[in-house]
Amino acid sequence: MPLILKTTRFVEAQIDTFLDTVSDSAILFQLAMDDYINHRYEQFEERLSQIRENEHRADDLRVGIERFLYERTLIPENRGDVLAILENTDDVIDNIKDSMLQFSIEMPQIPPVLNDLWMQTTRSSAAAVEQLVYAVRSFFRDLAAVNNYIHKVHFFEREADQIGEKLLRQIFSLDIDLSQKSQLRFFAIHIEKISDYAQAVCDRLSIYTIKRQL
Amino acid sequence: MIFIYLLSGLFLGWSFGAKDTANIFGAAVETKMISFKKAALIAAIFVTLGAVLDGSGPSQTLSKLGSVNEIGGAFTIALAAAATITLMVRIGIPVATSQTLAGAIIGWNFFAGRLTDYSSLIAIAGSWVIAPLLGAIFAAALFFLFRYYLSKVKLHMLEQDVWTRFWLLIIGAFGAYSLGANNIANIVGVFVPVNPFKAVTIPGLGSISGVTQLFLIGSASIVVGIYTYSHKIMKTVGKELFNLSPITALIAVLSESLVLFLFSSKALFNLLVGLGLPPIPLVPVSASQIIVGSVLGIGFAKGGKNIRYHLLGRISLGWVAAPVIAFFFSFIALFIIQNVFEQKVMQELRYDFNRNTIIQIQKEGINSKYLSTVNGRSFANENELYLELSSQGHYTKPEILNIIRLTEYFPLKISTSTIKDKSFHSRFTPAEWKALSRLENTTYNHKWQLAAALAKYPPWQRRTLGNTSADINFNKDLDRRLDILYRNFYVPEKLE
Repeated sequence: MPLILKTTRFVEAQIDTFLDTVSDSAILFQLAMDDYINHRYEQFEERLSQIRENEHRADDLRVGIERFLYERTLIPENRGDVLAILENTDDVIDNIKDSMLQFSIEMPQIPPVLNDLWMQTTRSSAAAVEQLVYAVRSFFRDLAAVNNYIHKVHFFEREADQIGEKLLRQIFSLDIDLSQKSQLRFFAIHIEKISDYAQAVCDRLSIYTIKRQL
Repeated sequence: MIFIYLLSGLFLGWSFGAKDTANIFGAAVETKMISFKKAALIAAIFVTLGAVLDGSGPSQTLSKLGSVNEIGGAFTIALAAAATITLMVRIGIPVATSQTLAGAIIGWNFFAGRLTDYSSLIAIAGSWVIAPLLGAIFAAALFFLFRYYLSKVKLHMLEQDVWTRFWLLIIGAFGAYSLGANNIANIVGVFVPVNPFKAVTIPGLGSISGVTQLFLIGSASIVVGIYTYSHKIMKTVGKELFNLSPITALIAVLSESLVLFLFSSKALFNLLVGLGLPPIPLVPVSASQIIVGSVLGIGFAKGGKNIRYHLLGRISLGWVAAPVIAFFFSFIALFIIQNVFEQKVMQELRYDFNRNTIIQIQKEGINSKYLSTVNGRSFANENELYLELSSQGHYTKPEILNIIRLTEYFPLKISTSTIKDKSFHSRFTPAEWKALSRLENTTYNHKWQLAAALAKYPPWQRRTLGNTSADINFNKDLDRRLDILYRNFYVPEKLE
């Protein structure tokens, strides 16, 4: 029994580390955006490489957890659901990394007038991801709390949508080239999409929570 | 010949193993918490341990339905019950061994012209209703308890999984043990009086009594049943009726084990009697029905939305159909075994009206003046005598049953070594045993004569003064011990 519990606790620690990585990536994303807007490009690149590392780590952790769950036939009833949650949460990091990479490649010029709305959208998306991490943690330990966090994810996703819309309107009201407007729209949508991914994971999570409830 | 007869017991054991292990481990296996291999191994070990270490004598309540007094009859009854169970297992309906056996025994009663004790039948049938109902109540209560507890302790999903597995194994092992202990008697109990095995001494390990060897063979047949056929029926229990999660599977099995314990724990029975509380009757209840009740209890506690009622209807129909089918199988098989294979399926009993029995009838407060028409006559079977006396209209049903009991010719010879050989002596107190030993080698023609001879000694006297529940239970227990004596001291050859 102690041996089995030791293995279980090891997997629990792996899951926790995985979620920490997702949470870190959301914070890094917010900080990187701040760096970019304030033209601290070197620091931005450092953050991007940190997020890349996080993405690799999260992938490795996820694969390790999946292998453990299957090899030891742990949680047979919920295994599929847990793996889906981990994979979808992992997609959120991938999405963050992809957005940042696009910034690094295309280096879009963001007019200073957009800074405030740009950061507000970023903060809402990052907050949605952080609440998602809380929701996933609760799914493992405290089912009753999951819905509370899911509600917050929905809140921040709506917030990101609304501010994102304002941002888009402001982009197209500016006196800049259409090509730049189009480029900025692409990046604004990318940032907003991160909260959409978080919400998509939550939608699944709420169903898995109902399944798990006694 | 006895070994051929034993085959039907082994067939019954096989069908029991296929069916009843499913009740204990079905939910755990179907939710993939325990692999079938592991479940089968644990069930095999603990059923065998239960049967060998704690296996009781022939089932008392079932024996009240009808005392099958010939090995050929026992063979046929076991065969009919096993065939019925196998048929039901093939259809995928969980049925109760004790219920099926009851149907087969009543079939024998009809064939042998014996009266069926309908009050016992009602008591047994009552337990078939109460046990699943209790299972449902326990499971629902446990469900709410577990839900509250789990919301408080906030265990990690993975740890919860480990603990659920652990308890599924422990409770499953406990359930398998009590299943073996309670039901081995249903399987080979009828063969105990004609047990062909002699005690074997293994140097350094001690000796294995003949009865233990018989129980070992019985449990081996259960083990074969577990490995070869229990997987199919597990699906019905685990998934089809209601989708169980590992936790609800644990609740169902725990509730089943608790109800089984309530109906089979002699310690609890004695404790309740000691406290002056009404005891729970020790009747063989059906694990199959309790688990279905438990699963339903959980289903209702969750709001009753996902229960597959059509399957429930099929299972309920199986419960009614199993004893009826067993009854007909038994009756037809007895006819074939007796007339085609020319085997004896029943003891020729006799009901004598002579000076001794008439005096005893008078002593028991029954008016004997209407017995002039039967005085000096012998009747070949109970039914014939019952019809004769009831057609006169002078006696009530209890009086007629009493007359039948008193006139039954049942030659007995006291031989304490028979009891010792079958390891039944532990059921008697030293004082009772001492009194019994004083009657060594004496012979009697009627059961009441032996009871009267023993009643001269205080430990064998009935308690008639207080009429309290403790006294009633003492008398019931006395009857059970006397029954062991009747069964073991019966000598079919004529004594006078």
